[in-house]
Amino acid sequence: MKWIFFAWKNVLRNRRRSLTAMLITAVGVAAVLIGGGFALYTYESLQEMTARDTGHVVLAHARYHEGDEDVPLQHGLAGAAELRAGLSRLPGVKAVLPRVAFSGLISNGDKSAVFVGSGVDPEPEFRLRGPQMSFLEGEAPAADAPVPEVVLGADLARLMKAKPGTSLTLLATTTEGNLNAVDVLVKGIASVGVPEVDKRLVIGDIATVQRLLLSDKVSTLSVYLRDTEGTDAVAAGLKAAHPDKAVRTWADLAVFYQAVRALYNRIFGILGAIMVVIVVFAMANTLGMAVMERTREIGTLRAIGTLPSELVRNFVLEGAMIGAIGAGAGMLAAAGATVALAFSDVQMPPPPGRSAGYPLLVNFSPALYVVVLAVVVLVAALAAWTVSRKATRKPIPEALSHV
Amino acid sequence: MNGPVLRMEAVTKSYRVGAGRVAALKAADLTVAAGELVALTGPSGSGKSTLLNLCGLIDTPDSGRRSVAGQQVEGLDEKRLTWLRRENVGFVFQSYNLVPVMTAFENVEYPLLLLGMAAAERRRRVIDWLGRVGIAEFADRLPDALSGGQRQRVAIARALVKTPAVVVADEPTANLDSATAKDVVDLLHALARDQASAVVVATHDPRMADRCDRVLRLEDGEIRP
Repeated sequence: MKWIFFAWKNVLRNRRRSLTAMLITAVGVAAVLIGGGFALYTYESLQEMTARDTGHVVLAHARYHEGDEDVPLQHGLAGAAELRAGLSRLPGVKAVLPRVAFSGLISNGDKSAVFVGSGVDPEPEFRLRGPQMSFLEGEAPAADAPVPEVVLGADLARLMKAKPGTSLTLLATTTEGNLNAVDVLVKGIASVGVPEVDKRLVIGDIATVQRLLLSDKVSTLSVYLRDTEGTDAVAAGLKAAHPDKAVRTWADLAVFYQAVRALYNRIFGILGAIMVVIVVFAMANTLGMAVMERTREIGTLRAIGTLPSELVRNFVLEGAMIGAIGAGAGMLAAAGATVALAFSDVQMPPPPGRSAGYPLLVNFSPALYVVVLAVVVLVAALAAWTVSRKATRKPIPEALSHV
Repeated sequence: MNGPVLRMEAVTKSYRVGAGRVAALKAADLTVAAGELVALTGPSGSGKSTLLNLCGLIDTPDSGRRSVAGQQVEGLDEKRLTWLRRENVGFVFQSYNLVPVMTAFENVEYPLLLLGMAAAERRRRVIDWLGRVGIAEFADRLPDALSGGQRQRVAIARALVKTPAVVVADEPTANLDSATAKDVVDLLHALARDQASAVVVATHDPRMADRCDRVLRLEDGEIRP
């Protein structure tokens, strides 16, 4: 305890220098925590977005993901209703949504355009998608409407000059290889925030789509869980129960999420490395000067009977204290910025390929704070150890004659 | 006076200067008994500081043998040598060399802290020694707030508080006015004798030398009685 007290007195010996080192450390720590918190927020948002889009676990025909179907639903799932009922009973499962992926032409009588569509169970589908799809006009289609209803992507609706209530025709190749058509009513116009998707998106009731394709199969069954953490366990269970089918998790299918995560991990990894270098330099400079100025004192304490290792320990304590206080200040600043951003509604510009921005928010991660604090204290202590080790081994008469 | 606590036999020391070596100490023999005060005098460069450093175990001779409190010094590794100093050697420096961030109390307490003494015993001893050197009322002051004489008293208390076998003092009165120097000399003399520490003092000050039991003159690295 006494040694910690002496170390603290030495921290206060040159207050301006110690304060500078603490401030540098605080700025580095705050930058890492805010950057890291932003990355965590981005990961979480993308994770949620992907999971809402694909479902946490996707069950499909064994060859579905190979993408080599000759006709629609060639590798579709048969008996989807029974499968869906069985999956819905699994513990932790919130919903199981059947989907039929299809494509074709959409026409308003005057002109036609290519669409990429999805047949869904409308009520749970739009409920679970939540903010991933925003309705610009109209609303979600009903499953039991007298005239089949669809939702169009915003850009496709503009191209088709469609509004809610507009009648259009969908043309697609059936499972038998023939062309089939169905008249639909535009019920809603929505955007997913990705112009490339909004330009071709059609979402309709699954029964209508199956009638168009002349099949009762579905492309996939998307399993939504109450807790994302349970994804791997449920996927493992489904793989064991359905060895003849393809089971993929949201992470397997989230190419964009994986790419962003890899990019951000690298960016913030480099930021962390820069912070470590800054702390090392700040500590090495502060304690290096302290060691040099205290050379004669080191000689005196050595003469009195202090071991070099004990002197090094004192410098390490000083370094750790400066690092801890600097890190503490940086943590407070980062926490303050986190709270301020939560209330300030600052928007980030749309990322490449997207039409909508997103809020600039920073996640508060206690684990990240603890890790950064530990790293900074460790690095500061190591820097102090490095700069003091040599000085404390200088011959005592030489140290005592230091001016 | 008691038996010898510091013994040096045929101790030599040389330093590298350019391509050659200069002998700083030539086959010096020295024995100091417990409670004895020995003054080392001589002109600058005569080898006083070298001999003092060797007495204080902070330098290593080229040849010869030393013993402190019956313990052979040569052959000890750094750690054991440091422990020998910690337990048996006290230092008084010309410029006091107090730790500026420590109060007078803490400076005197430091050697006891190194010895791992219990807090209550440390406190008792430090208060006792600050009283003995006459600065008990300045216990909480930092060295910067003390006069030169008061600082040297703190340094003497720091050197003697652990009851060392040997006290090494390098020009302890050089930075003091004559009245204060006399006080410090008397104090060092009385306290060292009181607790039977062998004291070796390097000095140019005749007042200091006159108060010692023996005066050894060094010239060109040789001790001349």
